[in-house]
Amino acid sequence: MALLIEARDLTKKYGAHVALDRANLNVEAGRIVGLIGPNGAGKTSALRAILGLTNYEGHLTVLGREPFRERTALMNECCFIADVAVLPSWLRVDQAIDFVAGVHPRFRRDRALGFLAKTQITGKRRMRELSKGMKTQVHLALTMAIDAKLLVLDEPTLGLDILARRAFYDALVNDYMDESRTILITTHQVEEVENLLTDIIFIDKGRIALDTSLEDVATRFSAVAVTGDRLEAARAEKPFYERHILGKVVLYFENADAGKLAAFGELHTPSVSDLFVAKLSGGAA
Amino acid sequence: MNISTWLIRREFWENRAIWLIPAVFGGLLILAALFGQVSIPRLTSPEQMHEAAAAFQVIVGAMFYVVMSVYATWYLLDCLYADRRDRSILFWKSLPISDVKTVLIKLLVGMVLIPLVYFAAADATALIAAFILSIRARASLGSALWQADAWWQIQVLWVYCVITTALWYLPIAGWLMLVSAWAKRAVMLWAILPPLVLYILERVFFGTQVIGHVINRRVMGLLAVAFNGGNHVWTQGSGVVDNSGVPSSVWHLINPSGFFTSAETWIGVAVGVVLIVAAIQLRMRRSETY
Repeated sequence: MALLIEARDLTKKYGAHVALDRANLNVEAGRIVGLIGPNGAGKTSALRAILGLTNYEGHLTVLGREPFRERTALMNECCFIADVAVLPSWLRVDQAIDFVAGVHPRFRRDRALGFLAKTQITGKRRMRELSKGMKTQVHLALTMAIDAKLLVLDEPTLGLDILARRAFYDALVNDYMDESRTILITTHQVEEVENLLTDIIFIDKGRIALDTSLEDVATRFSAVAVTGDRLEAARAEKPFYERHILGKVVLYFENADAGKLAAFGELHTPSVSDLFVAKLSGGAA
Repeated sequence: MNISTWLIRREFWENRAIWLIPAVFGGLLILAALFGQVSIPRLTSPEQMHEAAAAFQVIVGAMFYVVMSVYATWYLLDCLYADRRDRSILFWKSLPISDVKTVLIKLLVGMVLIPLVYFAAADATALIAAFILSIRARASLGSALWQADAWWQIQVLWVYCVITTALWYLPIAGWLMLVSAWAKRAVMLWAILPPLVLYILERVFFGTQVIGHVINRRVMGLLAVAFNGGNHVWTQGSGVVDNSGVPSSVWHLINPSGFFTSAETWIGVAVGVVLIVAAIQLRMRRSETY
């Protein structure tokens, strides 16, 4: 499959601070990729670079283009929502639609209007008069009406209540996603997105800690809950992380023999959030 | 409509003050014409009438020009900062619009379109106020303020002012936009502080005032470079000045050959271009104020 985003040794420094340290990542077309990392891990820097909002060192192509040099052309095929609160307060809803329709060749006004018709939002309202949830709906209506190959979402639900968040992700999956599109989402709230992702990229301290599809997670990673006397034997299989809960110890393994592990206790595939904690807590047990 | 037209519309949506301020200011002047005290000496000769009409229009125009200068300065200082402050830059940058175009359109709005709006407002105000005054003081004024020739000359003067202002003040506009694209906060302070510090350092360490003179000349020098004044052209009896010492026609007042051949003009333009290129480069790299 064609690579939509390809980064080799992507590096971004802010003075002495290295936000991205020779990161490599690949995103294939048609996937929903979660770029997951703790605060300050380099998620936003990676997105900035991918969207052409900042310069960088190393090799990076997005949709076959160099983002920083060709941002304008890139934005014809790629759109992004960087946090929901960024629509300017003075802008009216109808002005926003007129403007995007005027400048974006792939914008379809009827789709934006159709999306807004399902909401309480009217055209003469200014962004400052809308609630955060409503602003999100406007931004989504604008973005989803663009026939883009790549949609990038940076912490899209920050500051939204649980209802608005759920509505956001439902609309994303039901109304927007199809096989011609690719979505890249960053978030630090893993639980919220793990059910819709097809791929995960963990980023930590500016480096890519894991880049895999969810199908591969099942074959590659396993966790086993072990009690008491079997612990030492299980530890001999070299788990990369262990977690103590309620008198049990859960050991996390990568590329281990499942048949062997099953002998130690109950075997399961770790959830994305567990894997995230396990991978980023660092160091083998 | 093309992208540039949409970008211009967006500036007028965002900055409603572009037309609100001249509208309110014009309204106040018209109110003054309606209710203010009018004491005008009786005008007798056609020359006096012509002069009164020209003076009236120039005074109205000059007032609008002063207000415009203050507003345009503020606009240029804010135009690349406002959307970084409220982070809406992330929305604008998600659209296929180049930073070069964005910056140049804002420059065009600040240096050409805002002056043209004030030009139109000054014209409208002068016409309405002249109409009101002519009725209120019909005994002394009569139709003195209705001089088609004077009116045409004022239009020439305005167009000339818009062009020369845009060129002469380009380095200042470039500086304001550079600060606007760069500063994390307090744009006003950052616009004033560096030149002020340089001025003080130069005085303290070298005892000279070159920077002060350059800045002063740039801010105050347009009249001297673009207009005839204070030199031989204005002396009485040369045929181009009437008895009161005012140039008899706009063509004697303006000095386009002097302005367009002055090295000062083009050095300023060159500096302005460099500063604007720098502002564009910053605009490409800075997305937020922190």
